[in-house]
Amino acid sequence: MGATLVLLRREIKKWVGRRPVFVMSMITPLIWLALFGKSLNLYSMFNLEQPGFAELIQRIVEQRVLELFGTLDYFTYLASGMLVVFALFQSAFGGVGIVFDKRLGYMTRLLVSPIPRASIFIAKIMGTLFRISVLSVVLFAAALALGFQVKQGITLLDLAAAGAVILLLSLGLASIYATMAFYANNHEVLFAAMNLINLPLMFTSSAIFPREQMPSWLRAIAAVNPITHAADLVRYHLIGRPVNSYMHSLGLLAAFSLILFLAGMALSLRSLKESR
Amino acid sequence: MEECSIKAQDLTKQFGQLTAVDHVSFCVKPGEVYSLLGPNGAGKTTTIKMLATLLQPTAGEAWIKGHSILREPHMVRRAIGLVPQDLTADDELTGWENVVIQAKLYGFRGVEAERRAKEALDFMGLLEAAQRRVSTYSGGMRRRLEVAMSLVHSPEVLFLDEPTLGLDVQSRRHLWGLIEELRRQGKTILLTTHYMEEAEALADRVAIIDHGRIVAEGSPEELKSRIKGETIHVRLRDPGQTIALAEKLSKELGVDAEAKGDTVTVRVKSSAETLPGLVQVVSGMPVVEIRIVKPNLEEVFLELTGRGLRDEEFDVFKFRVMARRVRR
Repeated sequence: MGATLVLLRREIKKWVGRRPVFVMSMITPLIWLALFGKSLNLYSMFNLEQPGFAELIQRIVEQRVLELFGTLDYFTYLASGMLVVFALFQSAFGGVGIVFDKRLGYMTRLLVSPIPRASIFIAKIMGTLFRISVLSVVLFAAALALGFQVKQGITLLDLAAAGAVILLLSLGLASIYATMAFYANNHEVLFAAMNLINLPLMFTSSAIFPREQMPSWLRAIAAVNPITHAADLVRYHLIGRPVNSYMHSLGLLAAFSLILFLAGMALSLRSLKESR
Repeated sequence: MEECSIKAQDLTKQFGQLTAVDHVSFCVKPGEVYSLLGPNGAGKTTTIKMLATLLQPTAGEAWIKGHSILREPHMVRRAIGLVPQDLTADDELTGWENVVIQAKLYGFRGVEAERRAKEALDFMGLLEAAQRRVSTYSGGMRRRLEVAMSLVHSPEVLFLDEPTLGLDVQSRRHLWGLIEELRRQGKTILLTTHYMEEAEALADRVAIIDHGRIVAEGSPEELKSRIKGETIHVRLRDPGQTIALAEKLSKELGVDAEAKGDTVTVRVKSSAETLPGLVQVVSGMPVVEIRIVKPNLEEVFLELTGRGLRDEEFDVFKFRVMARRVRR
């Protein structure tokens, strides 16, 4: 445990110490929100100006939008999904640091010291979770500033629960990328994997669009996509959109993350045993 | 077994078809500086990596202070300090931060970790630069920082893998002085190098390693005495007389003499024994210079392997520093 904390502190020190990277990673969430969220305001498309019978249509549209998105404001829908997608991308970046520690020889230092091998893996994952925590708070604050509408009667417990869901998802995702990084010899492999995995994972989830509107084959994928369940749970807590089955989503997410974390750790330790 | 601080027994490592280390056995006594001397690719680094528990041997076994590298890697890691060939310090952090983290990885906390870091940095002459980022360090400073990081837990056994590779003469001498000091403190040191002067200057005993095998072992003096004696070069003012002189020396002294240009080269067992006779033979000839060449490890290596030590020297260290700069 001691070694894990020492290594975690190193991760944080390096992150904060890299000023340009730190500042950029703080600004990125803002840009994401501004670009993705504000440019795609679906509801305004149906905002009819004609009086009279238009009011009826307006009400029908409102009802439908509310049903699908759980809010009349698409920005609010999307921003809550973005919290989850952002964690996905940050998890992937976490792997890059591992590749560099390997290439720049620091891993040799760690391996020749008497620390438990698992602490190397765990510290990397915790470092990634730490970065995600900080950036999620920034992202959420930015969303609020841009007009994010939280559900009525939101409590601190809701905020904490949403945060916990994001971290639970990140645990699994960060484990995938960390494991890849322990086996990869250069960071390009990781970026390629990121492009291969992240975008499909994002678009086959409910992060951007409700899955009820998807064609059935896509809905089937979305139903097992952990991003979907994380996004659904986060939305439930932040904007009050009902979730099909809370326990089902949470169970699936927990199983996904714990299995990947344990499998990732086992595989990573194996790669460390015979490092070259 | 306890007589050896480092003991290797038939240590072997294969990478696919390639046998990088081939049944290497040796024993380094406590307080001894032992050098593995050989060209690049001879298996020196692979040997050190196995001893430092970074690589699993294909066959064989080794013990560090009686702890098996196979069964008690944890104990081995506590006992050793490794200065790898690669630069391992984190160049985004300061020298101080690097060494403190290192101390903490060995379980030292707070004040004790800082005291040790300070001591190690001070010893390596880096205290002044301690608060600077490692990326601003010179090559020599980076090397010294590597050593400081390896000393912070006061290991009794120290592995130095090509510690002065690519350093300029001044930095090299500086580092040699520090290694000498570490020896005086009683550390057992295993040093790999392909610099002859380095092995001669620092090592109590040298193992010459080539193609993964130890081809000779002994103190630098012992190894040099394997070369059959010394050579005497006699240079004449008149090149026309060298052949006659060579023949005369062979006949009268029974030595192996060879004429080339204006010089006659004589191979003898001991110049002290041969010189009086030789001087008599050459008296009256137009001698410009008589030079005696004592054997050095370079010659030993040449004799044993038929190749020079630095046939294909490629400056790996400089290349790495450059590569790091590019990657940043």
